[in-house]
Amino acid sequence: MSMSVACDLLIVGAGPAGLYAAYYAGFRGLTTAVVDSLPEVGGQVTAMYPEKPIYDVAGFPAIKGRDLVAGLAAQAERFAPTCLLGERAESLTRDTDGVVTVTTHAGTEIRCRAVLISGGIGTFTPRPLPAGEEWLGRGLSYFVPSLEAHAGHDVVVVGGGDSACDWALSLEPFARSVTLVHRRAAFRAHEHSVAQLRSSTVEIITDAEVTGIQGDRHVEFVDVTGPAGTARRPARAVIAALGFTANLGPIRQWGLEVTANRYLPVDTTMATNVPGVFAAGDITDYRGKVRLISVGFGEAATAVNNAAILIRPHEPLFPGHSSDAAPLPAPALV
Amino acid sequence: MPYVIAAACIDVMDRSCMEECPVDCIYEGERKLYINPVECIDCGACEPACPVSAISQDRRVPAELREFVDDNARFFTQSLPGRDAPLGPAGGANVVGPLGVDTEFIADYQPGTA
Repeated sequence: MSMSVACDLLIVGAGPAGLYAAYYAGFRGLTTAVVDSLPEVGGQVTAMYPEKPIYDVAGFPAIKGRDLVAGLAAQAERFAPTCLLGERAESLTRDTDGVVTVTTHAGTEIRCRAVLISGGIGTFTPRPLPAGEEWLGRGLSYFVPSLEAHAGHDVVVVGGGDSACDWALSLEPFARSVTLVHRRAAFRAHEHSVAQLRSSTVEIITDAEVTGIQGDRHVEFVDVTGPAGTARRPARAVIAALGFTANLGPIRQWGLEVTANRYLPVDTTMATNVPGVFAAGDITDYRGKVRLISVGFGEAATAVNNAAILIRPHEPLFPGHSSDAAPLPAPALV
Repeated sequence: MPYVIAAACIDVMDRSCMEECPVDCIYEGERKLYINPVECIDCGACEPACPVSAISQDRRVPAELREFVDDNARFFTQSLPGRDAPLGPAGGANVVGPLGVDTEFIADYQPGTA
């Protein structure tokens, strides 16, 4: 069943720039929806660097990727934006009266007055597990939406990055057994997580790959091939955390000008060449562009305020200071 | 600050890095792989994948290998032998496939020299 959402501003991409834009749009009193193809917020930071300390976010001498994302999500949450996670924005049409309709791959229709694309390096697609794409949804998954769902199961996690190690560690208390299979000897994950893994009950098999999945309707066994040959082991769930590939994806078809194959040129208001469509963050391009999270935050504020006066032409561009009046009970200062 | 592939890749071309790159910006020459500095997002996923440790961030490339920083860029900004135009931001190695040629610097490179 397809769903429909109406809002003032649709934000495409829930990375740092998109989350901050969601806060800002809420602060300006706009109703907002956020769509992202990944099932979690945080974009590139969550998908690729959750454990990396970041040193160049204003006001934070050092902050871990996942903590920054959690803070941004909490900040945006004050205004309760509609979150459409795990949905890829597919098409965009614009009526003569200026109403923009974006449809997701799941069929959700979002009708809005303006769109802000904070799509970073594009839409992320999990790298498939070569051994068994056909087992998706029948024991094979690319994400772990619920740890409890794996209670009592033998779980095999595949990969060597932060996601693979995090999931192996967090599943350990729930699952009957957790095995981590990685095709190299060296892990890409944070050293601390790897050390934690080594002292846990998680069985680590390196220089090995999952070369086969067996079962009737659901995954029952996996074949793990390593230097010592192939061994079959029971598995109720296989979690493939092999990283992502990114691509600009369907927004290429939205009539937007694209430079260098992946950037959207914007003017000083962060408007793209398509009326009603703005952009912010790593995806934008203009003379002097610097691709950093801190720059993305500034662009998000510029884009939202300019979108706001497009939606409500009688309002001023300047939003007022957040410290002047809190429209909602302010969260405790930390 | 893109990542750069230096001398150790020459005549090895393991290609493990190509499997790791989330934006498919590692292109295949005849003797060596090259990272497109314009397309690289600086994520570092390729670095630990290289079995011969040929990859590092451009500002961490050892002094004797500095030439490889410029040479990685040249692979994309200058016309390669037999081609009319530079590759530029080609949109992914799987789009253009193996190029089968190298920059002049790599084609003439003698192992043991820098």
